[in-house]
Amino acid sequence: MSEPNATQPAFAHPSEEAFARILDYYGIEWQYEPDTFVLKQDSQGHTLEAFSPDFYLPQQDLYIELTTLRPKLIRHKNRKIRHLRELHPEINIKLFKRRNIRDLMIKYGIDEEARKILDREAQ
Amino acid sequence: MSKKQTRYEWYPLEAYGELADGIQKVLIPADRIKSRVLAMGQAISEEYRGRRPLLVGVLKGVVPFMADLLRSITIPVEVDYMAVASYSAEARSNGMVRLEKDLSMPITGRHVLFVEDIIDTGLTLNYLLRSLRTRDPASLEVCVLFNKPQRRLIDIPMKYKGFDLPDLLVVGCGLDFRERYRNLPFVGLLKPEVFQNDVES
Repeated sequence: MSEPNATQPAFAHPSEEAFARILDYYGIEWQYEPDTFVLKQDSQGHTLEAFSPDFYLPQQDLYIELTTLRPKLIRHKNRKIRHLRELHPEINIKLFKRRNIRDLMIKYGIDEEARKILDREAQ
Repeated sequence: MSKKQTRYEWYPLEAYGELADGIQKVLIPADRIKSRVLAMGQAISEEYRGRRPLLVGVLKGVVPFMADLLRSITIPVEVDYMAVASYSAEARSNGMVRLEKDLSMPITGRHVLFVEDIIDTGLTLNYLLRSLRTRDPASLEVCVLFNKPQRRLIDIPMKYKGFDLPDLLVVGCGLDFRERYRNLPFVGLLKPEVFQNDVES
């Protein structure tokens, strides 16, 4: 968890902020995008592709990536995670897809976020 | 004359009327759950013989499982309950988990078996186990009826486990959606329109 009352990071998506609040509530330490993993370099060592998982839970040694992308658009993210696992098999990472996030929001009564995801599904 | 009924039969799905209307399909039938709970009770009876364990549950979802499990255990046990405020807007404003009901008996030196209906993220259980460990029980183990591993954030060692569930919105056997469906004796998959209608309203 970030320090109580500490300045919150600029979350890229409201569901990330909701997720961080849930972790805070249950006393789970977290960091927001603390690491960037290089996935692809050119011959000069310049980074061509990198990946920064959304959250890291130090006590669990677990990275969490949240995505609200539609299933059809998630291929790119899946590929990045698969590549990350190939390069760093020691890394523990979990992907929460939009349905996972929607169900999590429903479970914790965060209807506003769940509704947004449902609205996007209906589009 | 009709044949004498010699074993307990659950009601058919249709008997649950409007509750049944919300169920897309039955994932785990009642008789499978009953058999599994019986086996868990037998295992607990063997392993805790002579230790008089204290079974601790968290209200309210655990009630049906706890009742069935207690009746499947053949050794002396005690039971106690805790209750935790749900993650409501009010609870969120307080910023941390609030115990609505603590245990009514001390657990220092006791063999505690924490009984849960379901573990998914592991967040609530992790919080409660941390709290109980500070009270110095002789042992502290976890018995869970349903496990949803896909959403696990906190690794929780489970000494006794009933079933793994897929990461879907399921109800029954204590599992609820907005406080409904807990009384179904089976685990059913909730129809998407049920939660869509509810969340949208």
